[in-house]
Amino acid sequence: MKGVLLSGGTGSRLRPITHTGPKQLVPVANKPVIEYAIEDLEAAGITEIGVVLGHKGREEIQELLGDGSKYGVDITYIVQGNPVGLAHAVGCAREFVDDSDFVVYLGDNMLRHGVSDLLESFKTGDYGAGIALQEVSNPEAFGVADVDEQGTVTRLVEKPDDPPSNLALIGMYVFSPTVFDVIDRLEPSWRGELEITDAIQLLLDDGHAIDSHVVTGWWKDTGKPEDILEANRLVLGDKDLKMIGVIEEGAETDGRIELAESAVIEDGAVVRGPVSIAENTTIKSGTYVGPYTSIGANSTLEGIHIENSVVIGGSEITANGRIVDSLLGRNANVESADELLPEGRRLVVGENSQLKL
Amino acid sequence: MRIITHTCSACGTVIAANELEDNRVMKCPGLDCEEVLRFTDLPEDARNHFLEYKEQYQI
Ligand SMILES: [Zn+2]
Repeated sequence: MKGVLLSGGTGSRLRPITHTGPKQLVPVANKPVIEYAIEDLEAAGITEIGVVLGHKGREEIQELLGDGSKYGVDITYIVQGNPVGLAHAVGCAREFVDDSDFVVYLGDNMLRHGVSDLLESFKTGDYGAGIALQEVSNPEAFGVADVDEQGTVTRLVEKPDDPPSNLALIGMYVFSPTVFDVIDRLEPSWRGELEITDAIQLLLDDGHAIDSHVVTGWWKDTGKPEDILEANRLVLGDKDLKMIGVIEEGAETDGRIELAESAVIEDGAVVRGPVSIAENTTIKSGTYVGPYTSIGANSTLEGIHIENSVVIGGSEITANGRIVDSLLGRNANVESADELLPEGRRLVVGENSQLKL
Repeated sequence: MRIITHTCSACGTVIAANELEDNRVMKCPGLDCEEVLRFTDLPEDARNHFLEYKEQYQI
């Protein structure tokens, strides 16, 4: 079994964060989203991974993942170039996959329980593909599967007005190499892309059995800022957090806190977990870091109250105020305007930023 | 839709035809690979097919 990790896309819904890098590198609990996918594949025993790259952030992804050896996997890069759809991305992996079954993992998706159960279920029969499903309350917004009592798929419908079930397709698939012949026969959809659901539908039409597995733990597509915050909350809620850094006497800490070796919580600071604080970051006196917050590396916080937020890193946050439910890009600074006249907020805000003042 | 790719003989990196055609001549995008790749590395029938249906491979 091999793995194909799809890491293209423009990240347009995550602007301005993605103006300077690919969405797959946005950190959740101080770890790039794509690393969770690599670790999930490795945990399922998949060590040969093809990483499909688009145009955006190609070098940054290669720089982070390298040859995969630091994760105990072997990575082959597949340069898709133009994003002509997920089925095209999968099709580009044909030479890499050869005649093996393979898992397709969307590089900006996170799955609490990983892909092992999906694989095990797929292996129990002679299937052309296996799809991961999750019960949703708004199936009309998703690709929806109709399945029989064995979990074998009988029908797929894209964003149906009258959904046959509440089981939505999530971005996780297993395929037999048969899928490549089907992709060869696909025509671009109305939006000019080769669609993965069309490929699965063709497999069904050809008489191949399609397995399904209903995912019970959380699943998150991290395409939008609020999804990053939610994923951060879910991971911090679950993760084993290690406190290695320095907590000075007089600092008040409570709950589970991940503190990197070179990170410091100074005298007079208050930190309530679950929280993750990365290397070379200092939480100074008068600061409150509240639950479900991740502060990236090389940052200094002084006087601010911050909670349920993600600070990517390299930030100086020294204003006297409260920051909640926020996502701060790399090297973004928030300082006080208290001493400045005329009174007022002073902003240098990039394209596609969103502020609520 | 026929998907056309080329595999770098030096490092195994796979490159889609549209990327090769865009650049015509390019350094292999594989990590630390110095190989030079050309659109003409693809077999003639693959090149002809790609050029004939080129608009399908763009978006
Ligand atoms: Zn190469």
